[in-house]
Amino acid sequence: MESKATELAIKSFQAVGFPTSKMEEWKYTSLKTLNEVNWNWRELSLLVAESEGLHIISLNDLLHQSKSFKSVWEAKNPILDQNPFYDLNEHLCQAPLVLWVKEGVVNENPIQLDFTLNGFDSNTAFQSKLIVYLEKNSELSIIETVKSEKGKTFFSSYVQEIFLSEGAKFTYLKEQDLSDDSTHIDQTFIFQDDKSHAETFTLSLNGGILRNNLHFYINGEDVVSNLNGLYVPAGNQLMDSHTIVDHRMPNSESNELYKGVLMDQSTGVFNGKIFVRKDAQKTNAFQSCRNVLASSKASMNTKPQLEIWADDVKCSHGTTTGQLNEESLFYMRSRGISLQSAKTLLLLAFAQEVINKIPFEQIKQTLSDKIIGKIKASNDLTI
Amino acid sequence: MLSINNLHARIGEKEILKGINLEVKPGEVHAIMGPNGSGKSTLASVLAGREDYEVTEGSVLFQGKDLLELAPEERAAEGIFLAFQYPVEIPGVSTTNFLKSAVNEIRKYRGEEPMDAVQFLKMFKEKMAYVNIDQSLLSRALNEGFSGGEKKRNEIFQMAVLNPKLAILDETDSGLDIDALRIVAEGVNKLKSPDNATIVVTHYQRLLDYIVPDFVHVLYKGRIVKSGTKELALELEEKGYDWIKAEVD
Repeated sequence: MESKATELAIKSFQAVGFPTSKMEEWKYTSLKTLNEVNWNWRELSLLVAESEGLHIISLNDLLHQSKSFKSVWEAKNPILDQNPFYDLNEHLCQAPLVLWVKEGVVNENPIQLDFTLNGFDSNTAFQSKLIVYLEKNSELSIIETVKSEKGKTFFSSYVQEIFLSEGAKFTYLKEQDLSDDSTHIDQTFIFQDDKSHAETFTLSLNGGILRNNLHFYINGEDVVSNLNGLYVPAGNQLMDSHTIVDHRMPNSESNELYKGVLMDQSTGVFNGKIFVRKDAQKTNAFQSCRNVLASSKASMNTKPQLEIWADDVKCSHGTTTGQLNEESLFYMRSRGISLQSAKTLLLLAFAQEVINKIPFEQIKQTLSDKIIGKIKASNDLTI
Repeated sequence: MLSINNLHARIGEKEILKGINLEVKPGEVHAIMGPNGSGKSTLASVLAGREDYEVTEGSVLFQGKDLLELAPEERAAEGIFLAFQYPVEIPGVSTTNFLKSAVNEIRKYRGEEPMDAVQFLKMFKEKMAYVNIDQSLLSRALNEGFSGGEKKRNEIFQMAVLNPKLAILDETDSGLDIDALRIVAEGVNKLKSPDNATIVVTHYQRLLDYIVPDFVHVLYKGRIVKSGTKELALELEEKGYDWIKAEVD
């Protein structure tokens, strides 16, 4: 697949290499060892089922057919500090999946976007890209699951760019259930115009290394941005959430709730940035990240960052990392609930706060069941 | 039913129980009274299996079994129930789900079939009447944001559901107004039978107006220094604890 241009892109990536812990943005998520692998780079094309209300189109055609898309596409300016993956992905993804919802079209049912890293030998580096354009007052929900084949060393870089026009409504649920042999870098950029409403659920169930860069760019007024995250690493898994909410315009609100249950010797990272630019008066921005270390060997690294240049705003942030409460465990045991069940109940209840916000009923129970299964399988629930 | 023999227990380096002896038979109500810091709550905690305390000497037999060898959940399955002085808030877990887990784990321990949703519904309805507790309270997260009275009522509801052989009420009267106290006491009285026993741990005599004890024991400095009938509680109410302290010290 390698044309001259892609070859060049790979070369220039290799010159920089995978990020290491020396870089501030990758302090707790070093990908140093990936530099030792001779990767086969390839594009992984994404597919969704055709459905009424959804136009599946090429990027070039969309640029030609929609002037308004062309203008937001050209105006996009994501924050790409210490991010060598974005450019590489752009060069290698010749045929991104592009979804276009026209003005006023409401997609009642969520569309399913599933992909699995498989079918190739070890040392394959997959690149995939999704572009979503919602016109004025249109609505779309996506339920996405990403999986990968066991026993193969895979790298995956997945970029999504989502543009919400005035009054558009978008819900995006991402379930990440990859094997421990995979490293998955997920980058989501959501650009929001006036009165648009976006809600994401990033549910990290499994994966050797999962890195989620989730950016919301609030480019209009009366925008609502809701970011929900749940990560449940076990074994040696590492799950890293880097979020940015960039309030560039006034009168908007963002709500961020991230929760983690960390088992065994797993590692979690949360870095949440909120920018409130000078023009973004009357902004309400809330961020909360709470974690339970279910094992004495698990670790969590949190770094909330607020940068506020406007003076009339309401912002709050809080991160906590703790252990299960001994008194709660004793209380439950004194009623006949075994220690293991008491821990499972408390950890699930902790995670449930995020699950309860999911608007797709069919997913909630299976998700809870998967998390219960994972907690029960953990062999080191020391507290 | 319960036989405590020369029980010593400490927390860290501090010895709190210094040789407790107590016999409780089915159908009896025992009140354990005493000034603050005498070891009343420690005794309740040690019986329920709280791990902060280390038993250094003595034995506790419950229906012939060595209680001290059992984990807290095993003690519950054997029929011990501790009503907490400060019931713990458990966010995200409703009282009903909590009790369903508890009941079915206890049934499993006893080799019984699990109860299904229909059976639970019927049983919960029946027991709710005992303590005048509202359905809405039970579907909320356990104890979260409950008033003091609601928490205690919830404790007694749990007791009704679990139907213990030995109920230990640890300062159940603390923080209750007189109406709540009466409701809680009525619940306890309704649950009394010739087969089960109750230990009421309390600082004040007030609760004993409603839950009438067969025996009253005064705990002081980690020992039972005086035992008697309900009249002893009245005497304590009238004269305070000083005369007992004077007798002992």
